[in-house]
Amino acid sequence: MQTWDMDLEELKEPATESGEKLKTELLTVNMGPQHPATHGVLRVEIKTDSEIVAKAIPHIGYLHRCMEKHAESIDYRGVIPFVDRLDYLAAMSQELTYSMAVEKMLGTEVPRRAIVIRTIVSELQRIASHLMAFGTYALDLGAFSPFLYAFDEREKILRFFEEISGARLLYNYFWIGGVWTDITDQQVDYIINFLNGFEKELVKYDKLVSQNRIFQERTMHVGTLSLEDAHSFGATGPVLRGSGQAWDLRKVNPYLCYDELDFEVPIGEGQRGSTVGDCYNRYYVRMLEMVESVKLVRQAIKLLEPGPIIGKVSKVIKLPKGEIYMRTECPRGELGVHLVSDGDKTPYRVKIKSPCFTHTSILPHIAPGQMIADFVASIGSIDIVLGEVDR
Amino acid sequence: MHNEIISLINSKVSNANATLINPPEDGAGDSSILINPESVFETMKCLLNSKFNALQVISGVDYTEYLEVCYMLANFDPKDHREAIIKTRLTDRDNPTLDSICSLSLAANWQERECYDMIGVKFNNHPDHRRILCPDDWEGFPLRKDYKVQEVYRGMEVNPEAKMNRDDQLFENQKQTGNEEELLRKALERGL
Repeated sequence: MQTWDMDLEELKEPATESGEKLKTELLTVNMGPQHPATHGVLRVEIKTDSEIVAKAIPHIGYLHRCMEKHAESIDYRGVIPFVDRLDYLAAMSQELTYSMAVEKMLGTEVPRRAIVIRTIVSELQRIASHLMAFGTYALDLGAFSPFLYAFDEREKILRFFEEISGARLLYNYFWIGGVWTDITDQQVDYIINFLNGFEKELVKYDKLVSQNRIFQERTMHVGTLSLEDAHSFGATGPVLRGSGQAWDLRKVNPYLCYDELDFEVPIGEGQRGSTVGDCYNRYYVRMLEMVESVKLVRQAIKLLEPGPIIGKVSKVIKLPKGEIYMRTECPRGELGVHLVSDGDKTPYRVKIKSPCFTHTSILPHIAPGQMIADFVASIGSIDIVLGEVDR
Repeated sequence: MHNEIISLINSKVSNANATLINPPEDGAGDSSILINPESVFETMKCLLNSKFNALQVISGVDYTEYLEVCYMLANFDPKDHREAIIKTRLTDRDNPTLDSICSLSLAANWQERECYDMIGVKFNNHPDHRRILCPDDWEGFPLRKDYKVQEVYRGMEVNPEAKMNRDDQLFENQKQTGNEEELLRKALERGL
């Protein structure tokens, strides 16, 4: 894993009489591409001075699957499974952005019931995704049991997703014009049951991890990202909110039925003695967002009315000429889809603005001066999924 | 809102020649602002210092007769939010060049690298002008419309025929010749 750039002969030479110190060089350590703390196949080339990171250079592209090129030769419906595979931990949210972009170009009206189902499902997906972030982050910092607790709850959401879509990870559930299958009353009861239990779990997580002294010591005042830099990097989602800006597309520019629902936008305020913008704030924003998502799902369930679940879409979808840039609030930040159409059956160009790509570019900025262990904490706190970084 | 931005650009940057592009009459979608390629740096400097605080993404599109580079700008402020697509067109396909805006926005570094990697637009004064998703010694720019995959990469055959999945093409061909049953039988034999 380690490589030494240093010339061993130089080390043997003693210091000169004039008191000149031994020549030292930075040590290069490769973290990844197969490393448990990098959440996928990310390689970070770290130049270290003893245990302090002097420079970190991320190397990405190990998971590049040419999704944007493939999309140019497939019809509009066929792109959805590809979009799933971007952020495989929040596939529903990715489908939502893409299908909303196509629907806006087509001018399709999505039925009311489909909109509400989409809201419920994407909020449940947010909880599932944040649970994964929470569990693996604790795992990165050496706590194993929160990971199991988080997977236990995530499993319950996945079971519901499996019922409605037949798949546990890559769903292909949001179709252009609506959703694939309807949800039944029993499933609604199941969700409410889950939420009741989950609220108690959240209190447990708070005691177990958020108030844990060791966890706080590891994350507070570490990897601080100022609001100005967050803007300059184009950071969104929990990273931007952790730096103290109450920016949430669901609130600012509501889509689906978020304008009818009542919820707060949690931000990092230096809770429990931390610095605004540090790892703890980014982590804590996710925990608070799960509380809000529970509220949102409860309210959205009340809006469920019987009706059709898919709008009128022609068998062969041909988009009118033009381009669109659609973005929505995904668990990891704002996902943008730049869709260019030349009036044909296949997209002319699909460009995905990936929040994880943007956030990975923050790493070289916050790394210098950190201990290697703190750098691991920083990678975990921005919560990247490499499938979306590399596309 | 676009007209306001256009008049701001034209008053501050002399050679920008900003114009509004609306979606075509039989089309749909977002409108955008077109500027001169030479004025990209000055225009971005003007916009990122006044109306916008973030560069979200740089998206390159190959329209065969020209390359288009779109800068998606946004103002991340709940009280005063706006977004715009600023685009520029480069007619020189062999050596398309723009000025880098890395000194204005931290996001630009990686975004410009990706734009170079995929579409082949070079950025002057970029501090770290390398490919980002493809290997450094990869040939060609994948998202150009005339892109052909190189046949050999470091002595390895790219896309060897034995590893290509041609089932969907086979299916289409046989469907046209009306041999669907035959195909289904073969597929079942192979355990698909």
